[in-house]
Amino acid sequence: MDPFINLLQGFATAATPANLLMCLLGVVLGQIIGVLPGIGPSAAIALLLPLTFGSSPTGAIIMFAGLYYGAQYGGTLTSVLINVPGESTSVMTAIDGHQMAQQGRAGVALGIAAIGSFIAGTLGTLGLMLLAPILALAALAFGPPEYFALVALGLTALAAVGGSVLKGLATGVAGLIIGSIGIDPQVGVPRFTFDQMWLFDGVDFIILAVALFGLGEVLATTGLPAAKPILNIGRVLPNREEWRQARLSILRGTGVGFLIGILPAAGATIASFVGYIIEKKVAKDPSRFGKGAIEGVAGPEAANNAASAGAMVPMFSLGVPGSNTTAVMLGALIMFGLRPGPEMFTTNSSLVWAVIASMYIGNLILLLMNLPLASLFARMLQIPYSWIYPPILAICLTGAVANANSIEDAWVMLGFGVLGWLMKRYDWPAAPMVLGLVLGPLFENTLRQSLTLSHGSGMIFLSRPISAALLLAALLAVAVPAITALILRQRQLSVPGP
Amino acid sequence: MHGRFGQGEVILALLFAALGLLWIATAFGMPFWQGFAPQSGFVPFWYGVILVGLSAAMVINLVRQKEAAAEPPIGKPLVVLATLAGGIIGLQVAGFGPSIFLMLLFLFAVVEKLPAIRSTVVAAATTGILLLIFKAWLRIPLPTGPLGI
Repeated sequence: MDPFINLLQGFATAATPANLLMCLLGVVLGQIIGVLPGIGPSAAIALLLPLTFGSSPTGAIIMFAGLYYGAQYGGTLTSVLINVPGESTSVMTAIDGHQMAQQGRAGVALGIAAIGSFIAGTLGTLGLMLLAPILALAALAFGPPEYFALVALGLTALAAVGGSVLKGLATGVAGLIIGSIGIDPQVGVPRFTFDQMWLFDGVDFIILAVALFGLGEVLATTGLPAAKPILNIGRVLPNREEWRQARLSILRGTGVGFLIGILPAAGATIASFVGYIIEKKVAKDPSRFGKGAIEGVAGPEAANNAASAGAMVPMFSLGVPGSNTTAVMLGALIMFGLRPGPEMFTTNSSLVWAVIASMYIGNLILLLMNLPLASLFARMLQIPYSWIYPPILAICLTGAVANANSIEDAWVMLGFGVLGWLMKRYDWPAAPMVLGLVLGPLFENTLRQSLTLSHGSGMIFLSRPISAALLLAALLAVAVPAITALILRQRQLSVPGP
Repeated sequence: MHGRFGQGEVILALLFAALGLLWIATAFGMPFWQGFAPQSGFVPFWYGVILVGLSAAMVINLVRQKEAAAEPPIGKPLVVLATLAGGIIGLQVAGFGPSIFLMLLFLFAVVEKLPAIRSTVVAAATTGILLLIFKAWLRIPLPTGPLGI
């Protein structure tokens, strides 16, 4: 069916009072979470999951999507006003955004970020709407070897985007290991339960996500000094000259952000980095960058918002997340009994199109909310973290207990929380571990099915062109950053010291 | 403190290696391969092998580093962790409401040294909101104590 007809049907579902409320709730929460330190959209979605028990999956996913792109807007505030990115996706915005704030142009930086985010979010959603169904249609032809290769690509790509490929891969494999606890999905016998009845159902995704992203993040953040925000916002709307400087940056950021967002696991952070680099490269006077160039805010902000929409393309169409947050959303979809992947567009088309339609609505709400209310959100930065983290801990604990009415789950959360804290402390990424847990059963099932089909020969993965191409991409995802790091280290060693 | 190498991180890598070794050892006791098809122990065994390999590479990398970065202090996170553990024990003894309230009050007033009255009000309000959402609205049976909440 025509995507525009599907979209109209999506608007009909998204515009019901209940779903509109969920969309509003999602974007407002996302905005707040983006502003508050110590909790990101991944943790927030994990913490909100218990609240969606028994509710409609469509409403819940609309809220989560709103929270995801709302957090991109919120993260900008902290970048501009205190030079501390609320999210990793806003790191590049801080460079010129905070300089603009120090020059008394905080409002313009926030204004252009909101306008750029709105344009990029809307165009990105248009791209999602046009591209995802085509990709899903192509993926309908996938068999077990292709799915295995696709999951392998998702895991390796997510592992490779952090600071260390080795750490990313280790946490990803640890996630697969945790995912193998419980009943063997193929033969139905318990394994790795160590005679503990409560382990027969395996480790719940919510528990791991809350522990790593919620508790681990809180433990790593307590005790860190607070920054002093700039509260003089001033004029929010850019003038004609500022708009002239920023408009092409927004369009470039949108294009590059969306394309990077589609790549499994590349996500909004890389998109904002590339968006910034491109702006600096094409600028007539690159020396303005780092000193309050408006393009240095518009480009990366557009890129990270377009990437948020792009990251939903592989999640909806292939069942492989494009970012940390979509990895948690993928788990949420599975928790609701849905199977993310090509079938989503046929079996759950009303949900997918309602979420896509809600993204247009949510982006408009965010624009309308951000321009006049920027100074109000900025005041939230004055709340000390010591008032924020105890309620987050209480929500983590309540969510863990409420999930299965089990005290054991609370202890499991505590244990994984300690692990999450250590991982955060030493910069070991948590997202590959959650993704490993979520995709573990699919990974193992498709591997075993493929080997059974081929009578035990691994050549089945290489003899089929799509799976071979995906595995090659997975190999490159690991090899390229590893080799680059090696070359850089060799160069550093060859440079004589002072 | 600056160490010769990141000893805490080495311990973390060794923890991952231990997890891998546990999986290898446990998978040995499971059916591995039957006819043409891999069985329950096959995939977890290889997970274990890969994790041990990756963790070993991490340890080697870390030991070869000349100097580790300064690490933030661990005192406060440990106090927060202990409070959370107390909260979990409290769930079984005193029930959800009192244990969450006391946990929050302790964190606000004792750990963070925030004003006592404001701490009590915020702790009570947070507990009340959580009870309202989970117990009254979502009807999730949370642990109850002598006070019935």
